[in-house]
Amino acid sequence: MTENLPPIYNFPPLYTCQPNVLIREQQLNTWCDLLLEYAKNNNAWCINQEGFIMGTSESNNNTIFKNESIQRAAPAPFIDQIWRKMLQSQKVVKSSSGVYFMLWRTIDYWSSLMLQWFETCGKLNQVVTLYELLEGDESLNWEFHGMHQSLCEECLQRLCDRGRATLLKEQNKVMGIKVL
Amino acid sequence: MGQGNSKIEVTKADKAILQLKISKDELHRYTKHTETLVFNERKRLKSLLREDPKGGTKNPRARILLKKIHYQSRLLDQAADQLINLENLVATVEFKLVERQFMAGLKQGNEVLTRLNREFKGAEDLMDSVAEQIAYQEEIDQVLSSSVVGGFEEELDRELEALDQEVNGTVNVPENSAIGAGEELGLPDVPADKPVVSPEMPSTGELPRIQDPDKAHERAGTQTKSEPQRERALA
Repeated sequence: MTENLPPIYNFPPLYTCQPNVLIREQQLNTWCDLLLEYAKNNNAWCINQEGFIMGTSESNNNTIFKNESIQRAAPAPFIDQIWRKMLQSQKVVKSSSGVYFMLWRTIDYWSSLMLQWFETCGKLNQVVTLYELLEGDESLNWEFHGMHQSLCEECLQRLCDRGRATLLKEQNKVMGIKVL
Repeated sequence: MGQGNSKIEVTKADKAILQLKISKDELHRYTKHTETLVFNERKRLKSLLREDPKGGTKNPRARILLKKIHYQSRLLDQAADQLINLENLVATVEFKLVERQFMAGLKQGNEVLTRLNREFKGAEDLMDSVAEQIAYQEEIDQVLSSSVVGGFEEELDRELEALDQEVNGTVNVPENSAIGAGEELGLPDVPADKPVVSPEMPSTGELPRIQDPDKAHERAGTQTKSEPQRERALA
């Protein structure tokens, strides 16, 4: 899971919080890039505080913050700092349940990609359920396939704000969308 | 009516389609789930047989597992059928919606057409009257032309001829018609007047002779028009 990360991942000092402010800044930025790269490679939409990928059917017991090959792990306070940096630079969104949604692309990018899907698949002016959009067979080859539902809602909200779409609710839950 | 304010309306049909699609998603989810289940059980069965190659086929657990797999895949088939049914239904509903729009368009078009046709109601009377007027016009034309053209023109011609004879003395008209032939024979005298022109032209023996008809043409006014073309072709 961590095979495709850049070699800096195997650099031992990366796992200790650097005392020098400038170096630490650089270190945090490196961690941000690593996390996004990791998420992108594994299609990991949600990662929890400890660095485990959430929501995938296959169980995995390794976290990105622990590197077995060099026997290093980032301490919890440092991990906290990394997440704070990520939030600050808007590369993640924290959900109400405490997991982080990884944004290796911006929400705006996702929403326009979805709009593109609606246009190319001829789904304009039709009711489409979120499940159909995220898990259906028609979006298999699209990058947003498998996206977490609440993150998707966030993206679709952008389309609504632009006046292109309406969200359809069912029992107080967003179930479908209609794009014009 | 700003772009931001225009709300996309959600009709009852949309709600119904949403319900349909939600149940379709449920089925889809179930299919996926069952597929992985069957896949995993098949894998387990294989490993069971591999573990115990001799008594594996008689193992009651293996039999049960296989039975379960069959049962699940039958369910899977059913689910797939239902899924197709639902999808068909959704497609039909969507098509009906389009058809409704088509009907509305047709109705409107028909309305416009009838309204336009109503405006043409007096057309027949109008056409009759127009035809009448045209016939009348033709009648007038005929009357007028017969009264003016008949006899009167001939009289004019005769009078003109008489005047001509009186003024010119000799009969001028026949000479006019003979000019074409007469000039061509008499022409050899004329080129002698203007030898200056010929050197400028490409030197062909024929040339001066061809220029003659040109001059003749100037004088007579009725000469053949093909002469300049012939000249160009020779040059």
